[in-house]
Amino acid sequence: MSNDNIISIKNASIFQQDTLVLKDIDLEISKNEFVYLIGKVGSGKSSLIKMLNAEIPLNNGTANVVGYEMSKIKRRQIPYLRRHIGVVFQDFQLLTDRNIKANLEFVLKATGWSKKNKISERIKEVLDKVGMIDKILKMPNTLSGGEQQRVVIARALLNNPPLILADEPTGNLDPETSEEIIKVLQEISKKECAVVVATHNYNLLKSFPSRTIKCENKIITEIDKKKNVIDFEII
Amino acid sequence: MKKNNDKIALRRLRSSYATTVVSITLVLFLVGIVGILALTSKQLSDYVKENINVTVMLKDNVKDVDVKYIQKNLDASSFVKSTKYVSKDEAAKELQEELGEEFTDFLGYNPLLSSIDVKVYADYANVDSLAVIEKQLLKNSQVKEVFYQKSLIQLVNENVKKISFFFLVFSGLLFLISITLINNTIRLSVYSKRFIINTMQLVGATRSFIRIPFLGKSILQGFISAVLAIGLLIIVIYYLQQEAYEIVSFSDLRLISALFIIVIIIGILISLISTFFSVNKYLKIKSHNLYL
Repeated sequence: MSNDNIISIKNASIFQQDTLVLKDIDLEISKNEFVYLIGKVGSGKSSLIKMLNAEIPLNNGTANVVGYEMSKIKRRQIPYLRRHIGVVFQDFQLLTDRNIKANLEFVLKATGWSKKNKISERIKEVLDKVGMIDKILKMPNTLSGGEQQRVVIARALLNNPPLILADEPTGNLDPETSEEIIKVLQEISKKECAVVVATHNYNLLKSFPSRTIKCENKIITEIDKKKNVIDFEII
Repeated sequence: MKKNNDKIALRRLRSSYATTVVSITLVLFLVGIVGILALTSKQLSDYVKENINVTVMLKDNVKDVDVKYIQKNLDASSFVKSTKYVSKDEAAKELQEELGEEFTDFLGYNPLLSSIDVKVYADYANVDSLAVIEKQLLKNSQVKEVFYQKSLIQLVNENVKKISFFFLVFSGLLFLISITLINNTIRLSVYSKRFIINTMQLVGATRSFIRIPFLGKSILQGFISAVLAIGLLIIVIYYLQQEAYEIVSFSDLRLISALFIIVIIIGILISLISTFFSVNKYLKIKSHNLYL
């Protein structure tokens, strides 16, 4: 990883099953940054996030993500890349067959933690950060959407990743809960890591302004911070 | 209320395991039944063959000493399973019962001959061997005739061959069906977890780490199913032992335990292999194909 960049993409294009989704991507995201990724449905936000998470391959250009070169990454390395990336999904994706504690336990055990007391200590720490400590023994389906999303954020934090990717984290939530979730994510970005949030919830951008990147017509453009506030309707 | 929900979710999970276990159990039970049939098929065919009667007709006015001598000789020979002396009077009685008429009365005498009913061992119950035996018996001057149904013996032997062949084909078919059924059941249960498998990959679990609990569970599942199937088989064996002890006996415990071990191995192997391939399928699949 050169200097402080968590992500640095050069000249990359992303394909979703042979269809070009984004081209000429040049993007750098450094430590502790909070970045919005906006654009219409189908504009390639999710594809960009999926490329960063190695869910879809990078064919052209180079992209360095938390120290891994995405154009050369091998299948065996992918799990290790993902240990440096926390992921938050629109549909939460908790393991529905076990309770919250076991959900977090699974991630820790999968990423090489073996000591029981350290595991339960870490679980309590992250659940405390998102204010969900009292739900530790609940099954995911008994929690509300906002609560599940908090747990997912806690899960993303487990391994102290330098990067958190959130693909429409508020897509299934009401406006108030959405704001809470974004607040939690912004706080995390200040203290711990870079956060990339793909969203089409522009109200959030108004309430919690930050660096914003727009996907449109198969390219990405940085939105000027000063203009940002004024040109909202154009977006 | 919420606690209740938790319980319901857990119960649903357990019942899905139970369904898988029950289906595997039933299939293994069928496999075991085929195994029992295979173990007893020789006994069954022997039973039929050894019930074929070879009647040695003795000359009229044969002496008791001669009868005993012939019977003893027969008993001593390697091909004879059992002999039974039927005297003139006994033969007449039997015939009378069959006819329902006192035929000796109007005939004025008993025309029947005394005979020895011989049952030969299954290995000798074929036309060739019986011809040799017949020749040997006829050497004795007291033997008038040796009588057996050649066509029946041929028929029995042919049918045993046919039945064994069909049985072999049938058990092969059943084995295929059982593999397919177990495979389908397991694939379905893994399919229901495809999203969980995908999530596990996204949070940084390696393929083998995801696979191991599935495989462990599949071994347990196969083992439990096999044990249950063996329980059912023991009931069947007990029942057969009670009801058909003349025909089949399960005195050879080694064979039975070998069968049980095979059932356990088949249960575990099929469960393990199909779980391995189904989990791998969903480990390799791209996430946007999960919804298909």
